[in-house]
Amino acid sequence: MARALATLMLREEVAPGHYLLHTDCPEVAEASAPGQFVHLRVGDGTDPLLRRPFSVMLAQPATGEVQLLVRAVGRGTEIIATHQAGTRYDLLGPLGNGWGAPAGEANVLLVAGGVGVAPLIFLADHLRSAHPRPYVRALFGGGTQDALVCWTEFAARCEEFTAVTEDGSAGDQGLVTDALAPEIERSRPDMVYACGPDAMLAVVAGICAQAEVPCQVSMEQWMGCGVGACLGCAVPATAGGYVRVCTEGPVFGAEEIDWERMVGP
Amino acid sequence: MSAPDLSVEIAGVRLQNPVMSASGTFGYGMEYEPYLDLSILGAIVTKAVTLEERLGNPPPRVRETPAGMLNAIGLQNPGVEVFIRDKLPALRGVGVPVIVNISGRSVEEFVRVAQMLCVDGVAALEVNVSCPNVQEEGMYFGVDCDLTGRLTAAVVDACDRPVIVKLSPNVTDITSIARAAAEGGAHALSLINTLVGMSIDTERRRPHLGNVTGGLSGPAIRPIAVRMVHEVARAVDLPIIGMGGIANARDALEFILAGATAVAVGTMNFVEPSAMAAVIDGLADHCRRHGVARITDLVGALQVG
Repeated sequence: MARALATLMLREEVAPGHYLLHTDCPEVAEASAPGQFVHLRVGDGTDPLLRRPFSVMLAQPATGEVQLLVRAVGRGTEIIATHQAGTRYDLLGPLGNGWGAPAGEANVLLVAGGVGVAPLIFLADHLRSAHPRPYVRALFGGGTQDALVCWTEFAARCEEFTAVTEDGSAGDQGLVTDALAPEIERSRPDMVYACGPDAMLAVVAGICAQAEVPCQVSMEQWMGCGVGACLGCAVPATAGGYVRVCTEGPVFGAEEIDWERMVGP
Repeated sequence: MSAPDLSVEIAGVRLQNPVMSASGTFGYGMEYEPYLDLSILGAIVTKAVTLEERLGNPPPRVRETPAGMLNAIGLQNPGVEVFIRDKLPALRGVGVPVIVNISGRSVEEFVRVAQMLCVDGVAALEVNVSCPNVQEEGMYFGVDCDLTGRLTAAVVDACDRPVIVKLSPNVTDITSIARAAAEGGAHALSLINTLVGMSIDTERRRPHLGNVTGGLSGPAIRPIAVRMVHEVARAVDLPIIGMGGIANARDALEFILAGATAVAVGTMNFVEPSAMAAVIDGLADHCRRHGVARITDLVGALQVG
């Protein structure tokens, strides 16, 4: 937990409205674990006001590079979408708790929805170096082919890779969650790791609980401080009350989240 | 010239400088220790503490707005006993005055919390009569003169610590509430709390916040806050802690010139965790540039006309 300055080296439009920021930030590259995030200030002014949280997509300690995947969805991210090389970002981070290690032989299943792929690319990358014989399977879902952002980077780090789109423009047609139960049945992973929209995560959590496969989810929530003070990013906890995405998360055991209160019955 | 004297006194509590955290934006202090030397602060004002644990409101709890944000946390806190046991010891260790913000559903609840907080390490109480996110609670007191006066008097009786009453801007005439708090025996006033606001997701036709409405804070509300400090300072003879969108020393000086003895930094802590350090440095620099020996010489020094 610290603060750092990152310099934008290259902003790559990887899909319509999606940008991969290649930044130079040795401190964060060195300190980041897969699943952690940085809290990025968009400019010096007060509009937009709040920092934006982004999962680290890749961190390369050797080169000092930190990659962040940005989907332009509002004022802050639309401004980032115009930034040129040389732009300096004030970061807090790396923040939060990252992915927990898998039990056994790293026979794992990664389930990504849209830009939720970012922390899973870092995880897949890490598993390849941390385990002698990893076996990483991935399901990647999105509305259309364009939503399967950075899929080549993802697929390159997986032994098996399945794309699913709602309109059938790439891979199988349907929802990524439709493919999950059969995949668990087939490959019996030691752990399922998921990141994507809340509604997707809720279904993933339910399927994994049913199949008795441990599951970790990385969650997103509107955030104020990012350091645990404002309690703005709370999500409902199974144990009652709420947990903070910034501090207890963003990675949670799927069973820790009260999905019915999170997304409705 | 020698270093300007930034120290001030609020209700008998000596502060090394007039800059403190605004309740609810700084947790219980320690969250910010990695980013800021807490010992440089004038005081630390905690997040609201209630008699029993509060779980808070369903998400989403925050939403950015132009130069500001809406929040509806719902007074989430572990309750006064846990606060005293788990949070206060570290806060005391910082070595600056700790002001504990308290809230409750009834006068009796406020009184019990105040009684329990009469312990070492608590320099003063800030009475939250103005939380906009919990129905029929603080806000209920803070928009009614009689209730504000009665609640203030009860808390003053309950604990020998100085009592600061935090005023709501969501009233027709803030000076009448300020007078009621003064008549109830308040030792100081803090203002403003957040303005009730709302933001709508037009695609989904739903409110952005789980609580539907929330409290608006940040630079967007600063002109309203400065105006209200100006009004209250002329109406009531009590020290004022001014707050509302302070991002730098210039903003803080607006409040001081309008009549605030001290200032609190709130939402900007989220944006820039070291914002208070910059405000303190900037105040000293301003005093030097203007040949001001004591920051108190600037309190209410606004010239009109």
